[in-house]
Amino acid sequence: MTADQAAHLLRRATAGPTKAEIAAFTGLTPVQAYNQLLANVNYYPEPVIHLDKNHPTFGQALNSATPFDGDSNFGRVQSVRFWWLGLMTNQSRPPSLLEKLALFWQNHFVVSSEVVTEYRFVWRYLNLIRDNSLGNFRTFVKQVTVDPAMLEYLNGTENIAGAPNENYARELQELFTVGEKDFYGNYNYTEQDVKEAARVLTGWRHHNYWWGGTTSISSSFQLSRHDTGNKTFSARYNNTVITGNNTTNAGNVEVDALINMLLAHPQTARFICRKLYRWYVNPNVTETIENNVIIPLANFFSSPANNWQIEPVIRRLLTSDIFFDISNRGAIIKSPLELIAGAYRLFNLPPPAASTGWVGAEKYLGAVWWQMLSMQMPITSQSSVFGYEPYYLASRSKGWLSSATLGLRYQFADSLIWPWLQVTPSYRLGLDLVSWAVSLQPSFGNVGAAASITTEQVLESFSQHLFVFPLSQAQKDFLIDTIMMQGIPRSSWIFEWNRFRQNPNNTDNYNGVRWRLSLLMRYMLRMAEFQVF
Amino acid sequence: MKRRKFITASALTSLALPLRMNGFGMTAHNELSPLVQSLGNTPAATEDRILVIINLVGGNDGLNTVIPLSQYGNYQTLRSNIAIPTNRVLPLTGVDGIGLHPSLTGFRDLYNDGLMSIVHAAGYPNANQSHARSSDIWMTGVSADQYASTGWAGRYLQQRFAGYPNGYPSASMEDPLALQIGYTATPTLQGDGQSTGITINDAQTFYQLIGESTNQAGTDLPCCDAGELIAFVRRQQVLAVGYSAEIKAAADTGANMATYPTQNRLADQLKIVARLIHGGLKSKIYFVSQDGYDTHSTQVDSLDVTTGSHARLLKELGDAVKAFYADLALQGSRDRVMSMTFSEFGRRANSNLSRGTDHGQAAPLFLFGTNLQKRQIGMPPDLVADLLPKNPQPWDTQRDIAMQIDFRRIYADVLTDWLGADQSVANQVLFQPFGTTSVLKPTIETAATGKWTDRSTWSAGRMPLPGETVIVNAGHTLEVESNVSVFKMEVAGSVQLKPGVNIQITGK
Repeated sequence: MTADQAAHLLRRATAGPTKAEIAAFTGLTPVQAYNQLLANVNYYPEPVIHLDKNHPTFGQALNSATPFDGDSNFGRVQSVRFWWLGLMTNQSRPPSLLEKLALFWQNHFVVSSEVVTEYRFVWRYLNLIRDNSLGNFRTFVKQVTVDPAMLEYLNGTENIAGAPNENYARELQELFTVGEKDFYGNYNYTEQDVKEAARVLTGWRHHNYWWGGTTSISSSFQLSRHDTGNKTFSARYNNTVITGNNTTNAGNVEVDALINMLLAHPQTARFICRKLYRWYVNPNVTETIENNVIIPLANFFSSPANNWQIEPVIRRLLTSDIFFDISNRGAIIKSPLELIAGAYRLFNLPPPAASTGWVGAEKYLGAVWWQMLSMQMPITSQSSVFGYEPYYLASRSKGWLSSATLGLRYQFADSLIWPWLQVTPSYRLGLDLVSWAVSLQPSFGNVGAAASITTEQVLESFSQHLFVFPLSQAQKDFLIDTIMMQGIPRSSWIFEWNRFRQNPNNTDNYNGVRWRLSLLMRYMLRMAEFQVF
Repeated sequence: MKRRKFITASALTSLALPLRMNGFGMTAHNELSPLVQSLGNTPAATEDRILVIINLVGGNDGLNTVIPLSQYGNYQTLRSNIAIPTNRVLPLTGVDGIGLHPSLTGFRDLYNDGLMSIVHAAGYPNANQSHARSSDIWMTGVSADQYASTGWAGRYLQQRFAGYPNGYPSASMEDPLALQIGYTATPTLQGDGQSTGITINDAQTFYQLIGESTNQAGTDLPCCDAGELIAFVRRQQVLAVGYSAEIKAAADTGANMATYPTQNRLADQLKIVARLIHGGLKSKIYFVSQDGYDTHSTQVDSLDVTTGSHARLLKELGDAVKAFYADLALQGSRDRVMSMTFSEFGRRANSNLSRGTDHGQAAPLFLFGTNLQKRQIGMPPDLVADLLPKNPQPWDTQRDIAMQIDFRRIYADVLTDWLGADQSVANQVLFQPFGTTSVLKPTIETAATGKWTDRSTWSAGRMPLPGETVIVNAGHTLEVESNVSVFKMEVAGSVQLKPGVNIQITGK
């Protein structure tokens, strides 16, 4: 892979690469690169640290067996979220594909912590998502179906024989497995199928939600709440009948039969593969892509040989020619995660390790969380079961950018140029552009020993890996002459820079070069080209 | 009827003349299609009218919003665990048979003041019960089996303001065509490749964040989707910058004159809208939203069914809209602002055991403003005859409310009778003609041949009231089987009177 190809893979498979990671992946084959991203998967790399700064156990590892205390719950939910954001922004471990894929699945099998507000439920659910992200889809669906958090979120716990609550039965089909419609807009199931599936799902419930003093949570099946009649599905499921079961194991038997039926529907594998393609490759799925990429991948996914294993599908996708095709570069507008975490990683602005530097970690991860929230990506707290809007509305990734969020993205760019968040006494979250330029200058303190770095060199370094596509000559000239130099000759930079080299402690000299460097970088971070990846 | 139409159309043409002279977008474009020409005919009287769309996200429970008092027994049977007690239902002046949820004091006052209309059982044929798809149907304005990539309001605005976004902001329209309070652009305002709306959270911060122009007129776009996305971002940048100063200026000039409820997210949004309208922003359509209506569970509290999540939502809604209209009245703009709620679907007629309701079909829609000519459109759903499935089997415990008024008929009335669009434009925006509901007309007309007593005979989906003027349209035969009284009657079709039956005309 070239550096551009390596950067493309890392941008799509992780929250965004550091420059060191791009360098390390350059020269590998796509398969070698993928193998590394897979080998680096670490399901539990660090404990969840309690990051509620107002709580006495701030900085200690969180323990879900601690008797539940509602008063301190919110800070614990936040700690779980921060833990996950920490794994995504982390720069101390080699890059892995797990977190970006888990983000996909969390946005597929959505449980929103806006609704399911108890931290033990959020935590257990998030672990389930991460643990199954590369596993078996059939197992995944089953575990999600009886997960305590999902039973609360989509009202499964209230779905009782004779008084069904259809919420989960509908979303299980519409969003989690077969999808509402096929590629051509034909419906995949009927309203009757929703009602029958709800009957199959009766009887499951969760335990100890928001129950003060309890030390564990769970879910279970109760036969007395289960509808033991036969359930008859429509022709779209080949008129499948799930025979009513009235043993204490009915919950497992019937749910397994239901999932078998859902997975036997020819659209299920296509629905999942299409969504993965939109996530990793390009949200725009044409009929050609449907026929030549989605359907073959789906056939593989559901084939007896593969038997719904997820990892081999991701491997095929991320090492494919279509993934690297030039037409798919820059084909997605960055989500707030890719914008914020991507920039922090590209500019080597890591989070402090929460286990040793919890005060700084709380500030850093809090900044990531609040900025993502304002840009409409409140991690784990989607406003509906459909997930973050740009992943389901027809405007696709364009949905991230309204005039309102555009302003917030500008504000984020400004926070990099004029940093204000003091993460630790020695770490301010943002760019030190002057030091960056100084690092480019040979023999900085000796003007006679080496010529001044040029505006072209500064631009080259500042824009490295910043954009998907190389800047055109016209853009480079514009950035230097109009933005950085504000219409005066480029040679003036040499003069100003050398004056700064001669007397770096002079405030005017320092501010002069800082101003020019800030103009340049601020402009580039506001360019439309910076918004795509 | 034909003749009446003709007179109306020629009246519009003459009204349109001065607009042309004022340069209403007409001289700036050389290549005008006949359609665009006809759009110049937006009558002067409707030129500064505004529509506010209030999206109730999640699917509002219609039966606990407008409560069918005259069918209380059936209502109670369908939803015993969430039924609002009769003595807590808010009565409406001069109305029998229905009342409002106890939290809706705001709506009650608006109704009693003649500022609100109820459209019963609004929906569309073959209801879809997916949030995403049904929202899409309402927002893009299509049939259940039809798909559109643009929103109904977006299509209208794009026709009214030809060429948008090229050349905008312009001298004749320096403000956003539409304004949404929020963050994520709604499909309702989606135009061809571009939203016709500007999305802001707050006017002041929007201006501060967008700041000065940072745009470079770039022509060097990369290939494929990336090039299209970059061009999209650049257009967003240009429009945001172009409009931010205008929005700020309107917010600086405008003021709120009424007191709004606090801790009310909808009121916060409508407050911004009122302020911008007062400040002279010329945007034609505003879009606000209130979410949380997906009440599958605990929509009422266990100890008091008049409290709970649905009660809180309705209180926010009613109080917010009431304050908004009080504000508009004080600033003198009430007559030119009409508002409309919509929700992707109603909820089941029967409740579930979780003291909630699952996804349903039709539900009431509400209109607000001083120009409304009918207090109610359609009939309160009959809790036997209007339930689906029509012939329930013993195992059909899940019952839905059948649609009476296609929501696109309301859209068509809003487009023509409120925003002043030509009928042909409304037909094009909605992909087909829709019959009027007469909600903004002083008359009530036949929609089909039929009996006087059959609601489907009438445009308003209900029988004419004694004080109303009735039009029997050409080609329709109206059968009258018992004595009726009307204010006036125009007959272009025919009327069959049962022997001995009279139509009393009370108007002079």
